[in-house]
Amino acid sequence: MVSRETDGARPAEDTGRPGAVRLADVTHRYGEGDDAVTAVGPVGLDIEPGEFVVLVGASGCGKSTLLRLIAGFERPTRGTVTVSGAAPRPGQQAGVVFQQPRLLPWRTVGGNIDLALRYAGVPRDLWETRRAELLHRVGLDGTERRRVWEISGGQQQRVAIARTLAADNPVLLLDEPFAALDALTRERLQEDVRRVTARTGGTTVFVTHSADEAVFLGSRVVVLSRRPGTVVLDLPVGLPRGDVDAEDVRGGAEFAALRARVAHEVKAAAA
Amino acid sequence: MPPASAAPAALRDPVDEAEPAPRRRARSRTGGALRRLALPLGSLLLFLAVWQSVAAAGTWSETLVPPPARVWDAFVDVSTTHDGVRGYNGTYLVEHLGISLRRIALGAGLGIALGVAAGLVMGTVGWVRSLFEPWITFLRTLPPLAYFSLLIVWLGIDEEPKITLLAVAAFPPVAVATTAAVAAAPRHLQEAARALGGSRRDVVRDVVLPSALPEIFTGVRLAVGVAYSSLVAAELVNGLPGIGGMVKDAANYNNTPVVLVGIAAIGVSGLLIDGALLRLERAVVPWRGHA
Ligand SMILES: Nc1ncnc2c1ncn2[C@@H]1O[C@H](COP(=O)(O)OP(=O)(O)OP(=O)(O)O)[C@@H](O)[C@H]1O
Ligand SMILES: [Mg+2]
Repeated sequence: MVSRETDGARPAEDTGRPGAVRLADVTHRYGEGDDAVTAVGPVGLDIEPGEFVVLVGASGCGKSTLLRLIAGFERPTRGTVTVSGAAPRPGQQAGVVFQQPRLLPWRTVGGNIDLALRYAGVPRDLWETRRAELLHRVGLDGTERRRVWEISGGQQQRVAIARTLAADNPVLLLDEPFAALDALTRERLQEDVRRVTARTGGTTVFVTHSADEAVFLGSRVVVLSRRPGTVVLDLPVGLPRGDVDAEDVRGGAEFAALRARVAHEVKAAAA
Repeated sequence: MPPASAAPAALRDPVDEAEPAPRRRARSRTGGALRRLALPLGSLLLFLAVWQSVAAAGTWSETLVPPPARVWDAFVDVSTTHDGVRGYNGTYLVEHLGISLRRIALGAGLGIALGVAAGLVMGTVGWVRSLFEPWITFLRTLPPLAYFSLLIVWLGIDEEPKITLLAVAAFPPVAVATTAAVAAAPRHLQEAARALGGSRRDVVRDVVLPSALPEIFTGVRLAVGVAYSSLVAAELVNGLPGIGGMVKDAANYNNTPVVLVGIAAIGVSGLLIDGALLRLERAVVPWRGHA
């Protein structure tokens, strides 16, 4: 049932490079005994440094669980997860953008960014410029002093993205970050993320329900089956990246064909 | 109100025409302030009137129910030097109060600091909580007077037993409130901080502690209240100078007016301190309701 369209196995030493993510025969179960739920697996996935992998699949198939495994918040029940060649630990190798912004309400917008800069070990005298830089990157110049509940949900999500970029992690994990946003904001942020990751050259793992979002963002789209999720399609996407016009990408025939293919596989896998 | 002024004049709200919105709001604000001031003031006047008429009826002796004027005289007496006597027992009322407030600040301050520290540890480490929580609950149910005699035996009759009593009384409410709030610190925010590279200590300082602050403040206000109500007990032995000592000493001589002056001083200063704590809380926890 698995159709692999990438070129076979990679040399083992590659998996130790910064930004490489490797899941070998990974299964994760929540709970014990009769209450145990197998959330995901077995999944094998080799992600090269610099790839933008999008995980797509029905609700509850284990996408968030996979991200939590890569982030180091969960240990796999079976199999191994390595990130940059080591077992993942929270905050060490990968930056995470959660489905909800999860900003600290007792800190201002700028204060939330500062916290990330401090944790990233950035010297204090550089905070001001770095903070302004990060907020500029997500289009929120001059919002430093705002309270987080005074800005919109979409703006909060952009602050969450900005603070995650503070650490310059070789791996970036995003769990349906745009799910709660309106279509217009979502498209803007998709273009932002596409541009930003093309420039930084890090590895990205992005979770979504949407075939459209998957094909637009990913350099590779991975479709998961129903729970427990396994890989049913692993599809390279060759659409142009970097400084390109988003309208052109979305308007092309190749985009439409890939999107239809992914949408079909997601539907088939969920049935 | 831009929509109203943009509408044709005929459609506009006549009240809006007569009076712009900001002024209306200002008036209703002074109305609220009037109500907040007038009602308590009215009840105070009513209370004084009832008191005066009960005292004037003469059903009870002046020792039991002295008239308001006698209490006022006592207030003036303990606040000034008269017939060569300085205040009450050589100390003015404000000095008695100041000495007591210093004891409260030291004792309750110590208890609050220890309570926050204990709550932080108990809220984060499960077995420490299981070990100590029953003891703290036990301590909390004890009236401070119950262990005061023991403190005297152990620590003598100077400042130490008084400060200790207030500290022991203030400790449990803060420890209990802090423990509960720390244990309930939002998981998803702790996870977010760890994902940014925060250490365990960072997470406690930047997420757990701030998220617990509103509850800690509630505990502190409770603790100050408990310390206040233990004040007279703490100053039962060798409490002069001190407002509680003054009340107790005056009671020994059936000096009811001075007792009442002391009680009023304790009550009013307690209200002022609680108000100050509330203000402090609003300044320190501006996100209350937004977490
Ligand atoms: N902490 C947990 N304890 C027990 N079961 C869990 C836990 N977290 C997730 N699960 C279960 O594991 C399965 C996969 O959950 P997961 O959150 O990974 O799905 P998902 O693909 O991210 O779904 P969605 O698209 O709705 O976010 C679900 O059936 C869920 O009920
Ligand atoms: Mg999910």
